[in-house]
Amino acid sequence: MDKPVIVFEKVAKNYGETEVLSDFSLEVNRGEIITMVGRSGCGKTTALKLVNGLIKPDSGDVYVEGRRVADCDNTELRRNIGYVIQGVGLFPHMTVEKNIAYVPSLTHKKGFALANPRAERGRSQFSLKGLFSPPKIETAQLLSIVGLEPDLAGRYPSELSGGQRQRVGIARAIAAQPDILLMDEPFGAVDEITRRALQDELLRLHSELGFTILFVTHDISEALKLGTRIMVMESGRVIQVGTADEIINNPANDFVRELVGGN
Amino acid sequence: MELIKAIINIYTTRGSWFLSLLIEHIRLTATAILIAGVLGLIIGILISERQKLATIVIGICNVCYTVPSIALFGLLIPFSGIGNKTAVIALSIYALMPMVRNTYAGITSIDTDIIEAARGMGSTNPQIMVRIKLPLAYGLILTGLRQMTVMTISMGGIASFVGAGGLGVAIYRGITIFNPAMTFAGGLLIALLAVVSDNLLGLLEKQYKRKRRMT
Ligand SMILES: Nc1ncnc2c1ncn2[C@@H]1O[C@H](COP(=O)(O)OP(=O)(O)OP(=O)(O)O)[C@@H](O)[C@H]1O
Ligand SMILES: [Mg+2]
Repeated sequence: MDKPVIVFEKVAKNYGETEVLSDFSLEVNRGEIITMVGRSGCGKTTALKLVNGLIKPDSGDVYVEGRRVADCDNTELRRNIGYVIQGVGLFPHMTVEKNIAYVPSLTHKKGFALANPRAERGRSQFSLKGLFSPPKIETAQLLSIVGLEPDLAGRYPSELSGGQRQRVGIARAIAAQPDILLMDEPFGAVDEITRRALQDELLRLHSELGFTILFVTHDISEALKLGTRIMVMESGRVIQVGTADEIINNPANDFVRELVGGN
Repeated sequence: MELIKAIINIYTTRGSWFLSLLIEHIRLTATAILIAGVLGLIIGILISERQKLATIVIGICNVCYTVPSIALFGLLIPFSGIGNKTAVIALSIYALMPMVRNTYAGITSIDTDIIEAARGMGSTNPQIMVRIKLPLAYGLILTGLRQMTVMTISMGGIASFVGAGGLGVAIYRGITIFNPAMTFAGGLLIALLAVVSDNLLGLLEKQYKRKRRMT
């Protein structure tokens, strides 16, 4: 068995008096989708940002691929971790394709071609193998992977719908072919039907590309549907980690029972 | 009517003199605009990363801005003497304020989500500044540059009071020799220069807005 990809070891984090995370431990195996659920303000985003070093723990350690986040070059680390932030955060001054090409452009990755919407129109079928066989990745391919028309490549974020923006955010996060994806409520701003479509697409992507994913949501049914394992949090503590069956059949406490009650 | 005729007359008879004054005026104000533009941009960028410093620097800029221009010109004479040098220094000091303020405001008003996304995806600080912050602040910086350019060109008219060249020379001489047409002729050219520059920079702004689809 592989070593865990992400390890939280007894992490604590405070903001002044408030305890945001305490005794937070978790091991994430390669290829898992861990969904994190809990009330607003329970520390989900904070836990996610520990992984790419945007937040430093007060005590305890976080390891990614066996390396301590506190010790390694965070810039380098972040370029290998796809990040979909809560609220999307697309760059408003860049077109869709520039947004998507952002991370590869930071490292001047060769062969990353911008889509030419006019040239792409004829071919809507792309092989996923093509995406990962170097040297050429195209934004048009990424767009089609997240279910968007290549014609959108030249638009600005302000010209997209909320759901389209979220898809672009996901395309941007996977553009540099990271092994790890951090997704903070990536399907927040969309209707139920689009949401389900996006969930299915994520599962498809995951089975084809095999990322390890940390996925934050406050929707328990989304967490149960997507998670290889589900982590329930309350006030900065891990209450229970387990498969959907375990969570539903063996809830650790009343909070978890109430949470899955509707399912 | 008399005045208009007199002005046309003075332009035709002393055309080359006015042309040389105009060129001198452009040279003087362009130097100040360039200095203040570059310096203001640098200062604005530096203080955008340091909140404490920002309060102090913007405070100082505000104070400088409230000193009446004639007084500032006068205050500088003991240090830099009489002539173009003093004029350029005084004009630059005034022009600095809108540049610093707008650069600072442009950078610090960017949505923190955007910065966080850029940082989380592995951008270095210089990359964030060059690729995210400055392009997003560009609109406000351009507005600052435009205000400051118009202001500097018109304020350049006072420069002759400290012995500098430019169209202020015509204004000043017109006053001393009781020739209102000459004063007017000088003032009119300053106004024209300001309007033309304003419109040129306005074009840049429009082009930027069109590119960002903001119109
Ligand atoms: N920079 C900060 N300074 C002070 N307190 C903070 C800061 N960031 C977060 N907090 C606090 O830490 C707690 C956890 O925040 P976090 O963003 O991790 O919550 P969350 O679980 O992601 O919530 P949500 O579902 O609403 O996004 C909250 O109570 C929040 O107010
Ligand atoms: Mg959150």
